Amino acid sequence: MAGLLATITVSHYLAVGAFFFVTGVLCMATKRNALGVLMGIELVLNGANLNFIAFGSQYLREETLGLDGQLIALFVIILAAAEAAVALAIALSFYNAHSTIDVDQGDELKG
Amino acid sequence: MELVASSLFDLVSDVIRDTKGIGGWLSIAPDSSVGLFIPEILLCGTILAMLVLRLFRLGEKLDMFYVALIGVGAALLVLSPWRLSENAELFARRELFTGLLVYDGFSVFIRGLLLGFGVLFLVFAKISGIPSRYDSADIYTLVLGATLGLCIMSAANHLLVVFMGVEMASVPSYALAGMQKRDRKASEAALKFAVYGAGAAGIMLYGISLLAGLFHTVHLPTLAAQISTMLPQMETPELMVAALAGLMIMAGLAYKLSAFPFHYWIPDVFEGAPAEVGAFLSIASKAAALALLVRVVVGMGTLPDSSETAARDSVVARARQDNPATPADLLAQAPPAQSTMYVRHDEEHAAAETEDHPREDHATPGESDSATSATTDGLETARTFMAKLIALIAIVTCTFGNLAAYGQKNIKRMLAYSTIAHAGFMMMAVPALLAVADSHPQVAASAVSGIAIYLVIYLFMNLGAFAIVAFLRNEMGSEQIDDYAGLLKCCPGITLCFVVILFSLIGLPPLAGFIAKFAVLASVADAFRLSGHPYLMGVLVVGVLNTAISLIYYLRVARVMTMLPEPESRVPISLPLFSVAGWYVLAMTIPVAFLIVNWGSLHRTATAAVAHLLGS
Repeated sequence: MAGLLATITVSHYLAVGAFFFVTGVLCMATKRNALGVLMGIELVLNGANLNFIAFGSQYLREETLGLDGQLIALFVIILAAAEAAVALAIALSFYNAHSTIDVDQGDELKG
Repeated sequence: MELVASSLFDLVSDVIRDTKGIGGWLSIAPDSSVGLFIPEILLCGTILAMLVLRLFRLGEKLDMFYVALIGVGAALLVLSPWRLSENAELFARRELFTGLLVYDGFSVFIRGLLLGFGVLFLVFAKISGIPSRYDSADIYTLVLGATLGLCIMSAANHLLVVFMGVEMASVPSYALAGMQKRDRKASEAALKFAVYGAGAAGIMLYGISLLAGLFHTVHLPTLAAQISTMLPQMETPELMVAALAGLMIMAGLAYKLSAFPFHYWIPDVFEGAPAEVGAFLSIASKAAALALLVRVVVGMGTLPDSSETAARDSVVARARQDNPATPADLLAQAPPAQSTMYVRHDEEHAAAETEDHPREDHATPGESDSATSATTDGLETARTFMAKLIALIAIVTCTFGNLAAYGQKNIKRMLAYSTIAHAGFMMMAVPALLAVADSHPQVAASAVSGIAIYLVIYLFMNLGAFAIVAFLRNEMGSEQIDDYAGLLKCCPGITLCFVVILFSLIGLPPLAGFIAKFAVLASVADAFRLSGHPYLMGVLVVGVLNTAISLIYYLRVARVMTMLPEPESRVPISLPLFSVAGWYVLAMTIPVAFLIVNWGSLHRTATAAVAHLLGS
């Protein structure tokens, strides 16, 4: 029971945020489907967002980021939406040219 | 309740005053935030005008090129960066929009460079005709949108704006890279660009969140004050989180700079996208990314002169320090947002919250340093960390770009690697800036002015090179270096211009490229002489060696064009110097060839631009 009554601290939020971040990076690195990669990017952004909100909250610790934390989170949500829209459009144009969205099929340019 | 309401009123009127200055409801003071932000607002207005005008029948007949040109030209006129050399005092450092952006000579210089490039780029795109008339409104909208983002990047004073500027510049660029529809290579290039770019931006945002949590602020000058007081008292796990956050932010910046571990998108995007997009990414994007790098390292590494910023107090910086629920307290705070406020936060702040996330250790040269010398000034530690990290990245980037360019067969790929090498070269001035930022601000400022000079010269060199590549592509439909054989016979004027530009890219003495490289290397040498840090000597040696390496691949292109015989199978092409395209190339080549005659004025402008950067 003691575990259930423990106070939630910034560390708990950070742990969830770090989990999101690591999952997102793994997703970006391993997924072959372009949509899967985009989902990984969203996870990374949301992991960072969770951090900002936790750091901005005045209930979790005394010295905080203040309103900046929440405001940054709002801006990031909007930017992530804009980025996802453009990335999806590009994935569609990739599909039109290659008839697949498997990122491994894009191997004509050798970086 | 009464008190809170009146304070809220004060707060709102404070923000309004900060935004538009004192005056009537509709008047905007010329030195207010909005008044100094008019170039960007004009860009926004032009974008909206281009989108809305197409809805009407009249607008369909209108060529959007002229709308875009008028918009960018007007923005450039309002900004008028040429006033810099006349009166540098007009461009003293000033924070806009409660500390989100900063207005100083450097931001005016870089924004002037970006908008000037915008004008030249629009003319270039019009001549080469890559956006078809039907598409042109879309393409110009994207170009102007990206330019807006780049302008914001170069004036960033807040980590949110750093991220927003990077995203605002990147997202239109992804679409630009894929602007040729149904093209296999273009769509592949755009997808790679978008995926890598979004990933790098996500990692940078996570780094920003860690840094914000550690130091309780995202406002760069306040962050510097916090670092100087808090860093010496930090435990090892916290220091490791700070170093990790620094690395993550550096990853995002390195992506925009196409620096070494994050360079791989550049060759693919340049090869897949048209040469016009390559020109935009290699010049405008690099200029703003370098300006952003300078902003971030100066912002996090030096304390601003408090007397200068006190005049324009930052509401955000105050709001951060106090409980945001009571605006009354917030308004009662003393205005100066700088170091004096942090004395009371000196006491050890509970380390428990900043739990170290166990992740793989990034072994960097600066990390051990930041752990051992924690007893000295925190800013010095942060500066050393950043300087060593950036010096390492610059050295590797420059060398890698030059070596990889050697084996390329496609001219756009070769120019892509050359872009990487030049980005590395320009970054070399940043460790010099950091090494002497505290002890010799004048020398540090001259390092930044070296970057500014390099960027101006680089604009003409690379725009000329990409313009020639695009015009030759229109004539003969090829971008392979081997197909350029014997071009001296059929279009001697353009070939000579290209050879001059290639020699300048190497940095051979009478040409402008020499001045650029000299300005950067001289500042590194000065910084080494004054500070004696051995890594600066390494930077210097690598910089000189790389100039020699780059000789090989640039000269190979020049040799193919001038000495090899013309292939007989080639259809005759004509690209005379006395055509619109030829004049454009000539207009780019003349500054490259003859800048040495009058380079003093460029030097004076660049020096005036950086005069207030370091608060000295």
